[in-house]
Amino acid sequence: MEYIESYFKGNNTVEQKLQFENKILNDAGFADEVAFYISANGVMKQELYEEKKRRFREMYESHKVVAMQPRVRSLWKYMAAASVVIASFLLTWFISGNSSSPHQLADKYIQQNFKTLNVKMGSGDSLQAAINLFNSGKPDEALSVFEKFVNRDALNSEAIKYAGIVSLRLNNYDKAIKYFSLLAADSSLYSNSGKFYKAITFLERNREGDKEAAKQLLQEVVDKDLEGKNEAEKWLKKF
Amino acid sequence: MESKVTLLVDDDEMIRIVKEDKMARRQTENQLFNQYSYFIKEGMNKYSLEQEDAFTAYSDTILQSLENIAGSIFEKRSSLKTYLYKIFNNKCVDLIRKKTTNKRSIYQTAPISEMMNMISDQAKNVIQQLIEKNDFELLRKRLNELGENCRKLLLFFADGYNDKEIAEYLEYKTADVVKTSRLRCMEKLRGLYAKNKE
Repeated sequence: MEYIESYFKGNNTVEQKLQFENKILNDAGFADEVAFYISANGVMKQELYEEKKRRFREMYESHKVVAMQPRVRSLWKYMAAASVVIASFLLTWFISGNSSSPHQLADKYIQQNFKTLNVKMGSGDSLQAAINLFNSGKPDEALSVFEKFVNRDALNSEAIKYAGIVSLRLNNYDKAIKYFSLLAADSSLYSNSGKFYKAITFLERNREGDKEAAKQLLQEVVDKDLEGKNEAEKWLKKF
Repeated sequence: MESKVTLLVDDDEMIRIVKEDKMARRQTENQLFNQYSYFIKEGMNKYSLEQEDAFTAYSDTILQSLENIAGSIFEKRSSLKTYLYKIFNNKCVDLIRKKTTNKRSIYQTAPISEMMNMISDQAKNVIQQLIEKNDFELLRKRLNELGENCRKLLLFFADGYNDKEIAEYLEYKTADVVKTSRLRCMEKLRGLYAKNKE
């Protein structure tokens, strides 16, 4: 096998090449071995492409590009979605008596949105397994799996986001801020919630200076039209 | 941890990493994919492709471009974006033509023909006939039954990493250990394949 490998690396002299090719013609067993080597390499390359494609798909879907569908969409879908958003907002507004502080709003947001993680199509089996761990009340174990993903691939934005959310749910604010900063720094994302989530974490941590830091981040979310803009606009009015 | 995140936008830097810095290659592959993934939408609009097909064409574009960059086939006569766009358009047209065939086949023959081209004609004919007799699906199945360590070693090598780089990446003691293990894995694969083929 080593002899065959050396030939395909192109390291052989003209004479060695001739010897190799003569052996193919005169030794059926050797020819079979060469054919196997080439076939196996073809299969490995194909496996490699498939693996990379799976990775690309995971990234693509996690970046919400999946929302790209033909442009013609029915208006009623938007109207229905808008009605749901308005109704939820009004409900929240009435329940809270319209007197929530930014800290209370952040708290409510966490309760409403981070209680469970959504299992998303294309998240990959292991990421889904970690999401399931979190949803079944094992946040520490889930965090450890998400962190393994992040350590293996520092650009896995989905794992970074989940690691931040789970850290926040575990009240490990410093860690959550670290992950959301990392997420916010990823300029390749179509939809980046890093800054908004970081602001939520600051509000939740509520240390000296945190409120100002959150306000600044929320303003940036509004100015740059980032994910969480609607909430940020409302929350800024509470400061 | 933040230092691990390199946001590459510059063509030259991206090309340098693909060619020279294999440790950062995975990140660069992801970066390249993300950077121009809006092509997918363009493919859907321009060629009326389904999202799945446009995604396949775009993924194949990125994979082929990475190979071309690594193999110095990309000569920087245009920007990387223009180069990718050209390949992407060709892939979309190919997809439309091959709509009825298996999408996996778009890339399947490339690595084999690359190796075959290194052999002189007479010997090539012999090998070609033997390859045609091989059961690729069974071979793929056996590769996935090899065990994770062996599979990883073989796939890293197939991805262009040399033994020294594999040793560094997979934390083997030396390049020689990698080479011995890797060749042993290849023999094991051959044994498994031959056994099941009979």
